[in-house]
This record gives sequence, structure tokens and C-alpha cells, in this order.
Amino acid sequence: MLVSGYALLGAACVTVTPAQRQALSRPEMTPATDASEEVWHTHVEAAREAGFGGHGAAGGGCGCG
Amino acid sequence: MRLIGQLRRRLRLGPALLVLLLWVLPNVGVSEDRVIVRGNYYREASTRVLQPVVEVQADVPDERLSLGTAYVLDAISSASIASGAAQVTGGDAVFTEIRHEVMGHAASRLGDWGLGAFFRYSTETDYISRSLGVSAARDLLQRSITLSMAYAYNFDRVYRIQNNTGARAPWCGGLVAIDECTAGGSGYGSNLRQVHYVSAGYTHAWLRTLLGLASVEVARTLGPQDNPYRGAQIPTSDAEIHPLARTQVALAGGARWMLPRARVVLEPRYRFTADSWLIRSNAIDARVHVRVLDHLRLRARYRYYRQSASFICADSPADDLDDGSQFFCSTASGDFDTADPKLGAWDSHTPGVQLVVELDGLAKVRGLGWLAGGWIEATYNHVFQSNRFGNARLGALAFSLAF
Repeated sequence: MLVSGYALLGAACVTVTPAQRQALSRPEMTPATDASEEVWHTHVEAAREAGFGGHGAAGGGCGCG
Repeated sequence: MRLIGQLRRRLRLGPALLVLLLWVLPNVGVSEDRVIVRGNYYREASTRVLQPVVEVQADVPDERLSLGTAYVLDAISSASIASGAAQVTGGDAVFTEIRHEVMGHAASRLGDWGLGAFFRYSTETDYISRSLGVSAARDLLQRSITLSMAYAYNFDRVYRIQNNTGARAPWCGGLVAIDECTAGGSGYGSNLRQVHYVSAGYTHAWLRTLLGLASVEVARTLGPQDNPYRGAQIPTSDAEIHPLARTQVALAGGARWMLPRARVVLEPRYRFTADSWLIRSNAIDARVHVRVLDHLRLRARYRYYRQSASFICADSPADDLDDGSQFFCSTASGDFDTADPKLGAWDSHTPGVQLVVELDGLAKVRGLGWLAGGWIEATYNHVFQSNRFGNARLGALAFSLAF
């Protein structure tokens, strides 16, 4: 637990610089790529399920641009 | 007309506002002029939806101010026999209802801050919906972390088409007598349906190949939340009666992890929701993105969803019915009842595939440079669900160009 906690804290302080974001800028790594599709899934789920959310409130970005 | 209303409500009632949150939030790193044309398709035993969508976004003149607009058309059709309502219509018939939606949004990136706002208007025969919202996002650690907040307000007017005359009358919920219901004001006795929505998001580039996301969302809904037509499906009551207030909370988390050598991205997601009607839900969504060729991506998906029953269905199950063709529940006291399968306990499995062709390769051909940044996307999902809606098919075809 302690090791995991330190690892998590350590990772939280790591800065991925813009020059290191080649992989993160790929469409399959960018949540905003799916924005249009997520709207449709949200629409269907809102009509068919009691649950909601989870489709983009995180901001849709990783600063990868 | 009653049947038409039933069909429409099945697909519309719900937090339509939540659909918009992706628009509210500034899309960090996706600042470009772009048009997207989509055709969405939904089909299950009793209902079919065709939804064309056009979205346009442009920077004016750069990412400091981006403006966008969208138009959505919902064409909802259903066969009365398939929906179990042939006795109402006297035979099989197909009904089609239309909903129009327009929206405008603005976003601004000022240094490490992203700001956004939107307004949306939607209209159909017996329902008018308006939404507006604002958002703010802040980048930290050289944009390795993005924190975001959003607030949105939905204010709708709910009506009911009278069975005998076709006239439109306000609907204030099954708890309110029809002659006490008015089309103005707010609170008990008003047909105003309001949703206050707040969200907080966290996005973190943990590593060069690992992105994590988490969010908390809260929605508070006030006003009529039952279906003005569905009472006919409840043998013990004339009207569906739901509470006039509901609070929902959603916690979600996920990650995208790239395996560069395999050209694969793994994307797990999890979402938990709880609400004041005692429904709990869990959703697991696992996706695998594979770059098959330089400009061809394939995505496979599996989603499992499970929810518990609402308090309406949970407190006296002996009085309830869910045999696959009929569904209704009522509380032991008789205060509330429902024929909405969404308020019962059920689960679903959804496998799906998506193919995306990026047009950058074609853009290298002389005369086709205008295709640079464009893509074509085809998606199919099949929903195996254990409720009265039955299994469903979702398809989508989309085309986008940067300009």
C-alpha cells in the first residue's frame, strides 16, 4: 500500500513536456476525438438507462496539442 | 396520438441536458476549423431512430475564440404491433415523430485557461427544451493536468397531446390534477421541468503513453418526470406517477494506454451512479484501438451495464409485472407507479466495432489536398439487454473535413 501510494504521488508530480507528447496527440489517445460519438451514446443511454454521465465531463483534453 | 406520445417519451425523457456537456467543455488541443456530418441509427423491436447531425466549428481568428453550431434532427418511428399497442391503433401502423435541435457554443483558450459556454433549443410536438451552460478548465504542469468545472441549467416545458382532440395541454406530472396544471411559473402545479447540472473533471497525462481521466457529476431534476401517456400500461392507475424531484450522482474513471510497438491503445472505463430514487448502476466499458495501417484504425468494444430497481419497483415486487412484454411497478402505498423499464432492475451487454479511415493519405494526391485532416468513421454496436425494450442495434456513419 505504502509503495503504491508513493508511486502514485511520484507519478502525480511527473511532467510530460509538450515535446514528449507525440503518442498522446494521436487520435486514438485523445478523448476529444470521440466527442461527437459520445454525444450520441449519451443520448441513447439517457433514453434507455437510469444511470447517466461519464461521457466527457473530464474536459476532453490532455493538453496534447 | 396517445401512442405517438408513448413512443416519443420512451426515447426522450431523461437528462437531455447531459448530452451537451461535451460541448460545454473546451476541447483542449482540438482547436481547428472543422465540419462533421453524422448519421446515427438506432433500432430495437418497437422503435427506430434516424438522427442526422451537422456540426461546424471555427476559430475566429484563432483558438482565443472558437465558435460552433450544430443541428440535430431526430426522426423516431415505431410499429404499433411490435410495441404491444395494436389494440390502441386497431392494427399495425408506423408512426414517425420529429424533433429539431439547434445549438450554439463558444470556447476560448487564454493561456492555461479554457472557457466555454453554450445555448441549446429543442422542440417537438409536446416538449420544448432549453439549456445553457458555462465551463472553465485550467491546465497545470505544462498541460500535463487539466482540471475542469461545468454548470448547466435545463428548463423545459412539458405538454400532453389530448387523446380525443389532438390539442396540447400542459403536463405537471401524475401527482398533479390536470385542471390544476398550468403552463407558466415553476414548482408544484407548473409544467416546468428543470435540471441543474454540475461536473468536475480531472485529466492527467501520467506518462508519455498513459492518460488518466476521472469525473464527478451531479444532476438535480425538479418538475414532471413521468410520462403523460404511459399510464395506460398500468392496470392499477390512470397515470404514471413519479416523484417531482430527483438527485443523481455519477463517478467515472478511465485511462488510455498506448503500446507503441503494437500500435494498440487500451481504454478501460468504469462508471458508478446513484440517485435519490435508490437506483444504483455500474458500467464497465473496455475498448481496444488498433492502428491497422497508417491511416486506418479499428476499435473493438465491450460494455457491461447493470442497474438495481428504483424504490417504486423495490418495495412491493409482488404487485409488479415484468414478463418481457409488459412492465409496471407500484409502491405498496400506491403513491407512485411506473411503466418505465428504466426504473426496474436489469443488465445489458454491448459489443461493438468501429472503423476509421483517415484521409491524410488521399490528401497527398494532386487535387485532393482539401481532404487533409478529414476522416470517415463507421460504427456498429449491438445491445443485448434483459428488459422489455429488447435487444437493440446502434449504427453510425460520420464524415469530417478540416477547413
